[in-house]
Amino acid sequence: MVQIFDVSVFFIVFRESLEASVVISVLLAFIKQGVGKSDEDPTIYKRLVRHVWIGAGLGFLICLIIGGAFIGTWYTLGTDAWGASEDIWEGVLSIVAAIIISVVGLAMLRLNKMKEKWRAKISKALNDTDPRGKNWFRRFSRKYAMGFLPFITILREGIEAIVFVGGVALSSPAKAFPLPVVCGLAAGCGIGYFLYKGGDYVKIQYFLVFATCFLYLVAAGLFSKGIWFLENFVWSNQVGGDVAEEGDGPGSYDIRLSVWHVNCCNGQTSGGWMIFNAIFGWQNSATYGSVISYNVYWIVLMVCVVLLRFQEIHGHFPYLKSWTEKRKAAKLARKEKKRLEAAEKESARSLDTDSETKEVTVTVV
Amino acid sequence: MRAFSRLVALAAVATATLAATVQYDFSVEWVQANPDGDYERTFIGINGQWPPPPIECNIYDRVIVNVTNNLGNESTAVHFHGLFMNGTNAMDGPVFVTQCPVPAGNSIIYNFTVDQPGTYWYHSHFGAQYPDGFRAPFIVYDPDEPYAGQYDVDTYLTVSDYYHTSIPWLMANQFLTLTNPTGSEPIPDAALFNDSQNINFQVEPNKTYKIRLINMGALVSQYVWFEDHDFQIIEVDGVYVEPAEASMIYITVAQRYTILLTTKNSTDRNYPMIASFDTDMLDHVPPGLVWNVTGWLTYNNSADFPQPALIDEYNFYDDFSLVPVENEAPYEPDYQVSVDVQMMNLGNGVNYAFFNNITYVAPNVPALYTVMSSGNLSTDATIYGTNTHTYVLGYQEVVEIVLNNFDTGKHPFHLHGHTFQVIERSDDNMVYDPSNPGTINEYPMRRDTVYVRPGGYMVLRFKTDNPGVWFFHCHIEWHLSQGLALVLVEAPLEIQSRQVIPDDHYAACKAGGYAYEGNAAGNTVNLFDLSGEKLQPDPLPAGFTARGIVALVFSCISAFAGMGFIAWYGLSEIKTTSPEVVDIVGEPLDNGDDDESK
Repeated sequence: MVQIFDVSVFFIVFRESLEASVVISVLLAFIKQGVGKSDEDPTIYKRLVRHVWIGAGLGFLICLIIGGAFIGTWYTLGTDAWGASEDIWEGVLSIVAAIIISVVGLAMLRLNKMKEKWRAKISKALNDTDPRGKNWFRRFSRKYAMGFLPFITILREGIEAIVFVGGVALSSPAKAFPLPVVCGLAAGCGIGYFLYKGGDYVKIQYFLVFATCFLYLVAAGLFSKGIWFLENFVWSNQVGGDVAEEGDGPGSYDIRLSVWHVNCCNGQTSGGWMIFNAIFGWQNSATYGSVISYNVYWIVLMVCVVLLRFQEIHGHFPYLKSWTEKRKAAKLARKEKKRLEAAEKESARSLDTDSETKEVTVTVV
Repeated sequence: MRAFSRLVALAAVATATLAATVQYDFSVEWVQANPDGDYERTFIGINGQWPPPPIECNIYDRVIVNVTNNLGNESTAVHFHGLFMNGTNAMDGPVFVTQCPVPAGNSIIYNFTVDQPGTYWYHSHFGAQYPDGFRAPFIVYDPDEPYAGQYDVDTYLTVSDYYHTSIPWLMANQFLTLTNPTGSEPIPDAALFNDSQNINFQVEPNKTYKIRLINMGALVSQYVWFEDHDFQIIEVDGVYVEPAEASMIYITVAQRYTILLTTKNSTDRNYPMIASFDTDMLDHVPPGLVWNVTGWLTYNNSADFPQPALIDEYNFYDDFSLVPVENEAPYEPDYQVSVDVQMMNLGNGVNYAFFNNITYVAPNVPALYTVMSSGNLSTDATIYGTNTHTYVLGYQEVVEIVLNNFDTGKHPFHLHGHTFQVIERSDDNMVYDPSNPGTINEYPMRRDTVYVRPGGYMVLRFKTDNPGVWFFHCHIEWHLSQGLALVLVEAPLEIQSRQVIPDDHYAACKAGGYAYEGNAAGNTVNLFDLSGEKLQPDPLPAGFTARGIVALVFSCISAFAGMGFIAWYGLSEIKTTSPEVVDIVGEPLDNGDDDESK
């Protein structure tokens, strides 16, 4: 089962498509609320909606092409011949994957925050009232803002997904990709649609919590596995070619580093135990390194979660209140300065000429 | 390039009736040499020379070997392989069986009579020392032997494997270590004929040569043949046999074959003679290893020395079918020792060799000295140690050894102090079944070193007519170090009453700080108290130990705790006026949840 469904790929794609579908649902919501005078004219409404979908579709298509090409070339060039350094490769990739997943995973639990952030961004982009578009590109993008935004977003999320997937899953066989990608897309779009249609936010949040827990279990397992592979590499080098002969038995592991060893249930080779290995990082031959790294991962994660929550409530990390406030003040000051300058330029221009100002009004509800 | 020959036309009458004393003074020291022309290394030589000199004597002679250890950094001990040492068990030589190691700067005297003719050899029996060079032939001449007068020249030819690296280094770094879990033996670097290569064995036409072949190697059995020359096997390990016509022999380490080879009529060409490794015994064959060694039966020094022809297969003579000249029907056994051979890893990760789950660990006191200091308790096997695998045998009995080889390799086993009848030797992968025996010859072959096939078994029988402590072990030095050995204490009460340990042997113990009285632990007061004896390492833990269970439980707790924190984080409220959103637009947004206000 693990050979056709790479769990980490699923989660990466799920997360990215979730964010993308949030963006689209925000845009569609804006349109519904009358951006661009769409509430007055149904044809404009339809046109804008179509822009959104065309933009999204194009972005998605390009992502598929790039992603497919990337994966395809990688696998046809052959990932087989790692030979003696295969363990180092596996080890490093697993650790990198664990870190990537850990960093992006928590964002899924702040879906509301993600939505608000996008709403703000999009509304700012739509509000950009400077009529003197510097070049044709700017004017084009503003005219077709409703199409351009989803296109650019989907493209960026998609490339992010490809890069992350590359980071987590290049050690899996090629046939482990299609199924989780499809499932991830389906799940992400499904949730986005659910949100748009006014689904129960609480229920969605429960599902997301469950999914995130699972994701972090996988990441913890990956981290532990990474350390295990690196230790295995060192051991294989000490013994030489005979390690493979030993299978699961004595000599296949370094007794000095062993915390437990059973001559069965090999997470690399035997059936059901491979699933345990994929999800929990189970090893039939655990070392001090693999066990300690697993526990350290969870401890670090718990600390980070607490810190993040603290930051959300108080606006700053513990003990960093004054530092944070100084930074914020400086940032606000800069923003004020920019706004004043822009306003001066604006007034200077309007005094000179009588140019028409194109405006896209935003109805803020 | 030495061809060493001696004419048998000595004054037969004189030597037969006059038992002489032959004395050798050996200073054991380090000597530089380069036998294969590829690599010069330091060997253990004798009296400044390597190869060490052979010992030669006539039957019934007394041999006195005065050994002084001038190595400086290693102890030593000498074993005279194949000699019965009847009545002089202390002269047999294996450390912690019949003597203590002789430390550097000390000496020991081996003083014994030789009552058996034939081809033997002497070598170090301290650790795995002899492959570092301390081995040489020991020839016993007998003018009344069965084949007297049937040959013109009596000479010897040795074969050996050869390591460029010193054995103690290989042992500690490559072999007996946890990074060698399969117990793969170090691969020799070359093969040698007479401690050399490409030798010229000078022969004259129409002569019969009695060639005593000896394998002095550490590991590999060798196939030996002489191109276009057949020969007759007349003696194995000191036992004369009916002449057996053969063209190739298979000689394991420590074995000897004496052959009669009649040379051809003409001197127009020379003929290659070849010794070739049995590469089955090597864990792997490294590229570049030359596992043959060549010489020539040199009829004509100015003729060519052709390269040996390649052969398709080894058609060697199976020594099982040899018939001793003094033939005997199979003995009727009184007592059976049954042992299973296997190799396994113990708790320190190292691969050891076992007889019946016991890997031999040397006692603190040599077993013979335990016999001499234990009075009536010497017949109780317990006092010899838990890990020495000692059997106490009666006097004038017949003992049968059944050996099942559960390993996938061939092993040459040697019994000190005796020759044995080889009753059965099975093919590969067969277990001994007394109700279904294999081939048993009418007059079984006898020798002192015999190989058992992979997965197969063999049955040996011998008479306990030689009171003494006798080692029974695999003669592959690596396996001996892994503990593939057991000890037979034969007729201990007779040893006590008839034999004496010379003072210089005890002196060697004192010089090395070894105990020389008491049980295997050195306890002289309570011989059944073995505390302090050396034991084999603990076995590998089977499955989860306490440490493993704790680790697993703790990891599960961490995972659940972690997931708990994630859930808490996920379900907690967030303020919509989070700072980031404020920054983007410069003013806070209202709490407008689209999904609720539709």
